Amino acid sequence: MTESQLPSEPSGDASPAKPDSPRRRFWRRMFRNPLGVFSMIWFAILIVAWIWPELLATHDPFKQDVTLQRLYEGPSGDHWLGTDQFGRDFYSRVIHGAGLAFRSIIIAMTIAVGVGVPLGLFSGWRGGRLDRAIMWVNDVFFSLPIILLAMAVIIILNPSLDNAMIGVGIAMSTRFTRLTRAVTLQEKEELYVDSARITGLSTRTILSRYIAPNLMSSLIVQAAIISGAIILIGATLSFLGIGSSLDDPDWGVMLNRGRELFRVHGVWQIVPPGGALILTVLAFNLLGDAIRDAIGRDASNNALTITKRVSVAPASTSHAEGDDVVLSVRDMDVEFPGTDGRISQVLEGVSLDVRAGETLGVVGESGSGKSMTMLSALGLTPAPGRMTRGSVQFDGRDVTNLSEGEWQQIRGKDVGIIFQEPIAVLNPAIKVGKQIMEPLMIHMDMNRDEARARAAELLAEVRVPDPERRLDQYPHEFSGGMAQRVGIAMALACEPKLLIADEPSTALDVTVQGQILDLMAEVQQRRNMAIILITHDLGVIAEAADRVLVMYGGQVMETASAGDVFFNPKHPYSKALLDTMPQNHSGEGALAVIPGVVPSATAWPAGCRFAPRCAHAIDDCVTTMPPLEQVESDMVRCLRHGTDLVLADPAEADA
Amino acid sequence: MAKYIGIRVLATIPLLFAIAVVTFLIAVAMEANGSIAGQVCGEGATIECIAEVEESLGLNDPLPSRFVSWLGDVVQGDLGVSLLDRNAGVGELIGERIWPSLSIVGLSLIIGISLGMLMGIIAAIQPGGLVDRIFSITAASVIAAPGFLIGMMLSWGIGVELGWLSPIGYTPFGESVTGWFKSLILPSIALGMPTLAIVQRQLRSSMANALQSRYVLAARARGVGRATLIGRHALPNAMIPTITVIGFRAAAAIGLTTAIEIVFGIRGMGELLVTSILNRNVTVLQGGMLVVGLVVATVNLLVDISYGFLNPKVRLNK
Repeated sequence: MTESQLPSEPSGDASPAKPDSPRRRFWRRMFRNPLGVFSMIWFAILIVAWIWPELLATHDPFKQDVTLQRLYEGPSGDHWLGTDQFGRDFYSRVIHGAGLAFRSIIIAMTIAVGVGVPLGLFSGWRGGRLDRAIMWVNDVFFSLPIILLAMAVIIILNPSLDNAMIGVGIAMSTRFTRLTRAVTLQEKEELYVDSARITGLSTRTILSRYIAPNLMSSLIVQAAIISGAIILIGATLSFLGIGSSLDDPDWGVMLNRGRELFRVHGVWQIVPPGGALILTVLAFNLLGDAIRDAIGRDASNNALTITKRVSVAPASTSHAEGDDVVLSVRDMDVEFPGTDGRISQVLEGVSLDVRAGETLGVVGESGSGKSMTMLSALGLTPAPGRMTRGSVQFDGRDVTNLSEGEWQQIRGKDVGIIFQEPIAVLNPAIKVGKQIMEPLMIHMDMNRDEARARAAELLAEVRVPDPERRLDQYPHEFSGGMAQRVGIAMALACEPKLLIADEPSTALDVTVQGQILDLMAEVQQRRNMAIILITHDLGVIAEAADRVLVMYGGQVMETASAGDVFFNPKHPYSKALLDTMPQNHSGEGALAVIPGVVPSATAWPAGCRFAPRCAHAIDDCVTTMPPLEQVESDMVRCLRHGTDLVLADPAEADA
Repeated sequence: MAKYIGIRVLATIPLLFAIAVVTFLIAVAMEANGSIAGQVCGEGATIECIAEVEESLGLNDPLPSRFVSWLGDVVQGDLGVSLLDRNAGVGELIGERIWPSLSIVGLSLIIGISLGMLMGIIAAIQPGGLVDRIFSITAASVIAAPGFLIGMMLSWGIGVELGWLSPIGYTPFGESVTGWFKSLILPSIALGMPTLAIVQRQLRSSMANALQSRYVLAARARGVGRATLIGRHALPNAMIPTITVIGFRAAAAIGLTTAIEIVFGIRGMGELLVTSILNRNVTVLQGGMLVVGLVVATVNLLVDISYGFLNPKVRLNK
């Protein structure tokens, strides 16, 4: 996960108070999920009906009404679910049907797992040509209709549910082969398996100790869902008359009997077996979903893309004055609601200004909130996060509460963003040229031909060779450096007043880095553009920034001119960052690192957020949150500034 | 693209060959069960009759030469004659029966894919919203219901109770085009409902992933509007896994249409296969399975080709 997506894990499982065993957490989540509880209750009933049907059944399921008086009845006190065309009790027949359903599952599942899992393990572990041959055969069977495979087995042997289930089991084994092979391959790649193999463990030990546990959870989820499918197919075959024999209290057979009758004797003839069938399959599917959720995968799938609007509390301080202020942010708070109701505050009271022609550098370690600040200032807070306080002015206009539609007029036109990961931000399915043309056609009122011509010019400007040919290529045909040039071309397409560059050169090699920064500086001079440059690389800041904003733990720690930050840092964190620069390293001993890690947004320290890692922290720092205060021309958030705190400048430290 | 399609078509040949081998072996296995000649001669078969039938069907030749001559006939379109009626060519039997089946499968896929995609996109726009939750519960329940049961409910509700459409029967295309279409509606909805639910679920989840991707965020940062984000940026990428699911479902629908046809009393491939199984009519079964396999292989080919349209990486690298 990249830093600009989420500064930390707001919905993570970090609950330091209660060390909970995974097993207990699993069951707690299962019982908290109403659909999971429903499916577990239904299975409890079915299992009783399977093991001891006489306990639940009120009648003999085979006993016909010889008097022919009580056929095709609806529900009554005597026959709870009515009677069929022979006067047999529907309720008791449905209860006895549970046993046949479980029998089908057991036969088919034994074959499916017994064939599929070993084959997948073998194929994935072995690899090479044999693996490809096995998977080709597997895929052929996988692509054939299951019903057809079951029919094939029935043809060869004789029509019966057990024989049909042999066919279904063979068909379903292809699902398990695929799944097992995929997990095996993935685990094989993992480093720890490699190192385990090196230390001389046997294949069997690796399979049972490393691969099997990872496979288990996926297998259980898959098995639950496939059990549902097995029941459906079994019912379909019995319905066709080539499954269970025509007197068995099988749900499919009861539907087969009903199919001639329901148009004449009323739809009730198919309701009891049909209902039991649907509820059972539904219960298996819900059980699979509930297990998957309780294991904790796929939980991120529910995030909203476009956040719900919430009222934003106003800022308590006023914006910077002056015509040349392009972006001004005051007192911005951003929160992420976690899945368990806890709220993590990823930004707190962030303020910043950037003026035309100026470059503001934003520095801080990963997780300090740099990227989140920029996204939130432009109304792009990733869901489910939201801005809860603060005020944002862009080009003299209050943009705090703009709608998505109003933002669309500004984004891409007056402000361009260059993202890190240049290839991931290009749509893999759309030609690069089309993507560059988008802002031109949206904001500059160009038609297709004009936009294409301009896109080619832009690519030439960012020194992409052979731009005409490049326009018709797809992102996967671009190298990282070339893709980042495309990103810059797109961000600059409409000559924005503000360029936000989020780690524009981090993923690139050193020579390309320099070229990209030069390119940005060149455009800035020509157009008097404001730049916000986000980076964790102080070398880049030293080269390009006029002023610097130091962020830590979702707060601004220091703002100062670039010169002040480098030669007279006022915050211990700024100083600590400087000490990690290779340029400030004497060449002897290990490179300095800041001890510890950025804390999680769900568990900020009570006092200064940097205190736990700060070499200069005193007792007050741990209990009191320092305010952001004016010191000379700079702003600093530190209790100890102006006291006896001496932060030596890098040159002295080296000496 | 033409080259890519060409390669995919050639890659289908081994699949077809594998289907032919399996079909052939089914007949061999049945014979080992000692039933083909006995089936033809009926109860109380004489040894002479069985010997004669075995001789005429070439059952005494070695397996490889039987396979070659059988495959030769099949490639020329000769699927042999029904064991129960020497005058009925298997090819003609299937030719009669396959059109109702293909019509139902085709219309069910059109209904299921178009509505399923629409509902999947709508649900993905506001995941967790009211519409999404209603769709999710509906889809989960529909997936749990076998198509033939949905068919019985439709036949009863719309056919019998409301009387809007005939609850049973099939009108051939040649007889009346509107009649043909009307007789297809209920079976196709019954077969298409699970398709709809499966497509809806898959597209919803892959759309939700695509809408959370970096490239959609970047497009928003360029000022791209909502409709374009959804339709132009997220949908083509979300369709790649959805096409896979549609392919599996199309193959399954070809198998499951048998039960739907029986509900609506339509004499299609379903009834032909089931009666042949019960009668152990091996030549008809062989032909039927071969044709169904051919249809499935065609579906797989179409799925592969549409990957090429959606995913430039696949198209350009192969």
